[in-house]
Amino acid sequence: MNIRKLNKLVLFGLMFATPFVQAQITHVDMRVEGMT
Amino acid sequence: MKQHLGRQSGVQKVEVSLIDGKVDVTPKEDGQIDPAQLLKATYDSGVSVAEMDVTARGKVVKDSSGNFALQVSPNRSYQFAGNDLSQGLESLAGSPTVVTLRGQLYKKPGGKKKPDNSQPLKLTILEVQKKE
Repeated sequence: MNIRKLNKLVLFGLMFATPFVQAQITHVDMRVEGMT
Repeated sequence: MKQHLGRQSGVQKVEVSLIDGKVDVTPKEDGQIDPAQLLKATYDSGVSVAEMDVTARGKVVKDSSGNFALQVSPNRSYQFAGNDLSQGLESLAGSPTVVTLRGQLYKKPGGKKKPDNSQPLKLTILEVQKKE
């Protein structure tokens, strides 16, 4: 019973956490001036 | 400058091309990278930034003022600078759809105007790569 509850908790946790795990800046590029 | 940028939080790798003045920054997967901090760090190293483009994944959100933005982490989002591409994404606000896009966060003002770093960066969408 406790394991079932734990599984549900993990599942709900993953459902809510996933969108934020996926969201991120994956690359940044800059064009700069005055570099020597 | 490479070392200066490499020390910023959330930065995994920095590649600098002296020939064409390009700086490529690969973020860590921890989502801690802060483009505004990168701009500041670049200026602090004595180099001026002409343009900053990003590729980002996130959800479209609408704030209390009715502005649309891309949320790239729970506490960081970038308001869209309105264009045709951003208007096409407005219907996704509040939905679980994750969009991947390429956009411009900074462009040096024309003329001899001093860059204003006090304003929050706005995202001009250049390309919508994926909706999932």
